[in-house]
Formats: sequence, structure tokens, C-alpha cells
Amino acid sequence: MNIASSSRPQPGPSLVHRLSRAVAWNAVAPPLVFAGMLLVVGVLNANYLGPIGISIATASAAPIMLVALGQAMVLNIGSIDLSNAAISLFGTILLAMALPSMGLGAIVGVLLLLTLIGAVNGAILAYTQVPSFALTLGTLGILQTAALVTSGSETIYVSENRELVTVLYNTRLASIPLTFWIGVLVAIAYWAVLRFTVAGQNMTAVGKNERGALLSAVPVRRVKILAFAISGFTGGLAGLAIVAQAGSASASGLGSALLLPGIAAALVGGTSISGGVTNPINVIFGALTVAFVPIAIQAIGFGAQAQSLVYGVFIIVVVALTTTRARGLVIK
Amino acid sequence: MTHPIPPVLKLTNISRSFGPIKAVQSVSLELRRGEVIGLTGENGAGKSTLLKILAGIERPDEGQMEINGKVVQFRGPNDALKAGVGVVHQEQSLFTNLTVAENIEHQNLDRRGLSRFGLQDWGRINRDAAAVLDKIGVRLSPKARVGDLSFVDRQMVEIARAISVVSTSSGTPLIILDEPTAVLERAEVEVLEREILKLKKFAAVIFVSHRLDEILRICDRVVVMRHGALTRDTSTTGITKGELFNAMVDETPVQVSRKRAAQARTNTPALEVRGLTSAGRFRDISFAVHPGQIVALVGTNGSGRGALARAIFGAETCDAGTIEVGGTPVSHWSIGRAVAAGLAYVPAERKVEGMIGGYSGTRNIALVHPGQGRAGPFLRPRRMAKVAQDWFDRLDVSPNDISKPLGQFSGGNQQKVVLAKWLNSSNLKVLILDHPLRGLDVGVSQAVNAQIRAACANGTAVLMIPDTIEEALDLADDMLVMRDGVISATHDLNNTHDQHALKDIVAEMV
Repeated sequence: MNIASSSRPQPGPSLVHRLSRAVAWNAVAPPLVFAGMLLVVGVLNANYLGPIGISIATASAAPIMLVALGQAMVLNIGSIDLSNAAISLFGTILLAMALPSMGLGAIVGVLLLLTLIGAVNGAILAYTQVPSFALTLGTLGILQTAALVTSGSETIYVSENRELVTVLYNTRLASIPLTFWIGVLVAIAYWAVLRFTVAGQNMTAVGKNERGALLSAVPVRRVKILAFAISGFTGGLAGLAIVAQAGSASASGLGSALLLPGIAAALVGGTSISGGVTNPINVIFGALTVAFVPIAIQAIGFGAQAQSLVYGVFIIVVVALTTTRARGLVIK
Repeated sequence: MTHPIPPVLKLTNISRSFGPIKAVQSVSLELRRGEVIGLTGENGAGKSTLLKILAGIERPDEGQMEINGKVVQFRGPNDALKAGVGVVHQEQSLFTNLTVAENIEHQNLDRRGLSRFGLQDWGRINRDAAAVLDKIGVRLSPKARVGDLSFVDRQMVEIARAISVVSTSSGTPLIILDEPTAVLERAEVEVLEREILKLKKFAAVIFVSHRLDEILRICDRVVVMRHGALTRDTSTTGITKGELFNAMVDETPVQVSRKRAAQARTNTPALEVRGLTSAGRFRDISFAVHPGQIVALVGTNGSGRGALARAIFGAETCDAGTIEVGGTPVSHWSIGRAVAAGLAYVPAERKVEGMIGGYSGTRNIALVHPGQGRAGPFLRPRRMAKVAQDWFDRLDVSPNDISKPLGQFSGGNQQKVVLAKWLNSSNLKVLILDHPLRGLDVGVSQAVNAQIRAACANGTAVLMIPDTIEEALDLADDMLVMRDGVISATHDLNNTHDQHALKDIVAEMV
């Protein structure tokens, strides 16, 4: 509908129009929700917002954020990666085992391997058209088993070269560990990829309309492989953050339950579950919110039994507030 | 009440705005039983919004709506259906895997005891559906699967469904046909016209169309919309197309000359296919398109011409045959290779395939051809914006806003941007157009045609699938007639152009 056509010429959108578009609710909701939560906690129990509180919250947010950033990139092309938390778990074990003998090479090698696993996910999706939900559910199982078998179901302590990774957790900038700052850098990098690169434009195009992208000669298969490779790589970084924090790895330890918080953080960060809409910067706030909820629940004073219930209700409310409804709810 | 029988539809000062845009502005309209009114107007004139209000999809901001004398406020499409308003949408909304009867009676299953405790009374469902089909005089088996029917038969099923919802006691049904002829071939249009005349006996009909000829032929009254308001509401007797046209547009548009400057054909065709075959769709297709030449593929919807166009663009695979672009045979053909070789394809399904609705005009135009908008793997947003702005200005896209999502533009303006996306290349050799003017009004059609001619004058070869044969006669140099997957005739329109040939061409198609 365009009635304004008669009032030409219009040099461009008016300033008001631009402003109203720039401050669209979806763009500001994730930081606002997080700020609101900080405010509530600050009023009720200011202790939680001291340097120690911030340190704990951001440390626990770091792996969630990294997994969520990979998830957001996959959701953005209209798929979902249920295996990315399992990728990072497998990564923690490989890292813990390889660090003593290989040092820095272990980090590079594990990241490369996990990127490759992600790319294989993407390639199977692109060439067989198994829906990503089913495909990555399968890879999730395979990788969990791989993690159990490689670790022999035991906790693997990093016996040597431990400081190579723990330095990332122990070094603080403004009370916030480096692992979190790595996540922030990754978020900025992904934001720039989506906004300023051909590959990013193609990824979002596939998420918004795959058939349209295909008929515009967008290399859809390559886009899918790339998005899943990114998810694998970012999952690897999450694994790095976990080993940095724990100094050890185990198939059932820290990092074994990142999948759902990762998806929740991506959604709370305003990513559309049906593809084509994400803002990695907002995923930072999504991860902070998701990581902060348990702390907030404690601060407000709910009993231990009620925590899961409150968490569940809160996530539903927040996703309802922040999610993008421009598109239907279809995951391919 | 002055009339003993209230009007089927009475709108009083209906308005609806979207933000600052007044899509419908105090529209008042009355429609009586037995009347067929034509609703027309340019793309973006507010027809769709008015229809959505009538169908219960949108709610008016102001004004009053009466159906059969009762004031109604629809909360959703179901309310509209129950009140007796049946809309036959442009994009059909049937269950193609169900039978005709199931589709017709779907809305009634709960209310008429056709289904009890989840069990369907098939005998009654089929009988009731047959009765409705009988009422509107359509000869279709209630047990036929809708997916197997032709497009026009499906429209009949939609009409039947709309009729079936209105029980006889609750008044006269209002049937709205939203551009029903846009995708029909000539023979099918005639069938539809006969059906509409049958509907007059017991219903009121709103017929939405861009084709003024059809409106003047079918309708008793014609209503013209412009900028959301009714600009004309008059009997169709004694009014001319020119008068209607004046009511539709602001100024008289420039007539684009019918004759395109003839260009010498070079020896090497831009596109040549030999023996192209795809099992079950088309076979042994051979033809050539030279630079600066327009070739039209005419035929019915099942003739295989759409599949042929997609195969040439690499969007579908072929079983046999060769494709040559600029004299070079292609191998491992794909969309990516086709585009790299200088092919472009404007699909018939614009919203689903032609564009990324959630992306801005800038992004849509930058999607295919890098032009100056890229530096290696990086985008150059300012250059992209400049390129898009140039195209928006050149094609007079309105609103002239390159950052607004393309999905929010009207169809004609979307099509302009889709064209710009493909024309934004210095290496455009072959332009393939599938129904480029589908659903476009006269003004936009002329703008699109002008761009096609301009590309042609620059040496681009054009292969088009027109909506109508008239469109082909207007634009093309050569016409290939397809029937049942093969080329049944070819016409060189530059040499033997003859208006009377139209009838013969139709005969070759069916």
C-alpha cells in the first residue's frame, strides 16, 4: 500500500522515520531486559553487583555466550545446531588431553578440528537436505559418545601447560575475565561479518528466503557449510573458556549442559528462530541475562526448589518480549 | 430503511491507516443481490486492504460495515465466512491433497453434523458438496483430488466453498474474486466469466481486476480506487476504458511506442538450445535467441514453458540436449554458472522466488551482481546505497526508500526492484522473464516493458513468458508456441504480423 506515491519527490526517509526504525523494539529489548534485571537485583541485594558478583556472572556467561553466538549464526540461516554444545564438550576433552604434549598447538588443532566437524554438519545438511534439527540431534549423540569414550568417562586434568589456558580465566579486565572479553570480540566480529561482508549478506538472505536466495545465485550450500563451521569454531572457543575456568574437562562436568542455555541466550538476544534476523551484539546481553537469572533468583530470595520454575517462567517471558515475530515459526 | 431488502454489503466511511499511510480513506459502497461490481485501481491504490477488511483479516480504523442489513465487526476471517463473505484469493488457499468435497465442507464439518466425535459422515459430505457444486452449475466430481484439478477448476472449488458456508437462511452471500483472471489463460477466463454470471442469480459479487476489458464485459458496475479512496462508482454501460483509466491514474501516462527499433541479428546467438529434454515436462526443444531479440514463449500453464525457462537458467536439471551461451556450450549447468555467463531470470512467483522480502531494496539489488558494491569479500555499503538509489530513481520506485524492506512495497514496485537487481550488470546477455507483468497495473507494466525494451536495445537477448498473447504481440520479435512439452509452432512477428493470427495461435496452444 503506498499512498505517498503522489507526494514525490522524497529524497529519502525522514529523520523521524529513520530514528523510529533505528530504535525498533527488537534492537533495544535485549539490553533493556538485562538492565532491568540488574536494576531489580541492585535494589534488592546490591552485594551481587560488586566486583565479585560481576566476575562470577560474566565468567559463567562466557561459555553460554560463545555457544549462543554460534547458534545465532546458524539460526540466522534458518537452521538450528543442536550439536554445538556437544562439539564444545568434545573440544574440552580433546584440549585437556592434548595440552600437556602440544601446548599452543593443541588449541589451534582442536579449534580447527571442531570447525571441520561443524563444516561436515553443514555439508551433510546442504547435500542431503536432512532437516538440521534431525541431523544435529544425530551429531549431538555421536559427539557425546565420542566425549565419553575419549575421556574414558573420567575427569581429565590438564597436568602441564595448564597456565596457557587458565590465564584466560584468571586475567581480569575491569573485574571481567578474558574469556568473556573473547566472547565480546567474537560478537563484534560476527556482527561485522553479517553487516559488511558478502558472506554475511548471503547468510541472512538464505535465512530470510532460501528459494529467493537460490534463484539470485547465492551459493546456498556454501552458506550452510560456512554457518555450521562458524558454529563449530565458536563451540570450540566455548570449550576453551570452560577448560580455562576449570583447568580440567569431563564429559559430565562443566559445559555439559550448554545447549539449552545457548539457544535461550540466542533467542533472548533477539534472534529469530525462523531465520534471517539476528544481532550478535544483542546476543551478548542475551547470554548475560540467561547467566544472570540464577543469580537474580538467589538475590531475590527464592528457595532452591523454586529456582527452575522461576527460571523457566522468566525465559518464556523474556523471549516473548525480545523475539522477532516478523516471520513464521519454521525451522529447516 | 428505504428498501425492503437491505443491501448485501453496505460500507459507510471505512478507513484504515498503516502508520502515516492512509491505505483506505472513507470508502462508502453499496452492493445488492444479483450485482457484479468490478473493483479496479493501480497497484497500491488500496484494493487489497479493502478486501482484507471485508475478509476479516484487517479491521477498519473507522467506519461501519453492514452485511445483509446487520452491522458486523469481524474479529477474524472465520467471522467473515460465517457472515457470508467468501473471498477467492489470488494465491489459492485450498488443501491440494484433499478431495473437492472435503475442501468445500471443511468449514462446516463441526456445525452441520458432518463430523461426530471425530468421525466423518462421508456420504453426507459428498452429497452436500455435490449440492453446492450443482447450485453454482459446476461439473466436478466431489471425490476428485484438488491437486489434480486445473487452476480454473480450483477457483470453482473456492467459490463453492465460499457459497457452502452461507446457509440459505442467513442472507445473500457476498463473493469476492481477487484478480481471478491474472493467472488464467484465455479459454479459462471464458469459463470463469460464465460462472460469475451464474453466481448473479443468488449472490453479490465483487470482481477485482486490472483488466478493464474484462470488467466492462462482466460487471454491471465498476468502482475505481485511487490513493485509498473511491474515485469512480458507475454503471459499466456507456463508459469507456479511457474514462476508467483517467479515474485510476493521476496523469495520462506516456504511451510507449509499440514498435521496437529493429536490430540486426548477429550470427552468434546469445542463447541457443538444441534438443533440450526433461522427462515429463518438455522434450526436444531447439531454438535460438539473438542479441537484441525478444522471443516469447506462449502456451497454456501445463505446456512446460515455465519448466523450460527454469532449466535454461540452471534451476532445474535436464535429461538431454545442449545449451550454448554466446556460442559456447555449457556443462555442469547451475544457477551460479548461468548468472556468471550473463543470464538473468525473473521468476513468476515474485514474493517467494524473485526477491528477499525481508531485505531492503539496497540489499536485494546488491545480492546478485557485485558491480561496484563489493571489494573482495567485503561490501561497500555507501556504493551499494548509491547504486540502489540510482535504480530507484531511474525506475521511479515508490516509495523512494532504499532501506525499507522490499516486502512492504506494492507488487509493481517490487517487480521494478527485481528487474533492477538483474539489470545492474554490465554483462547481461540473456534476460529470462516468467510472467513479468503478472498482477501489475497499466502504469507499472509500461515501465517494466520500457526496461525490457531498453535492455534489448543494449544487445540483451530476451526470452519471455507473457501473461497474454497480446503482450507477446506487443513486445516480441518471435513467438514460440508450446503445447504438451513441445514447440508446436513458431511465428516471426516482424515479417508476418497479423492481428487475426491471434485466434490461430490460441488454436495451436490447446
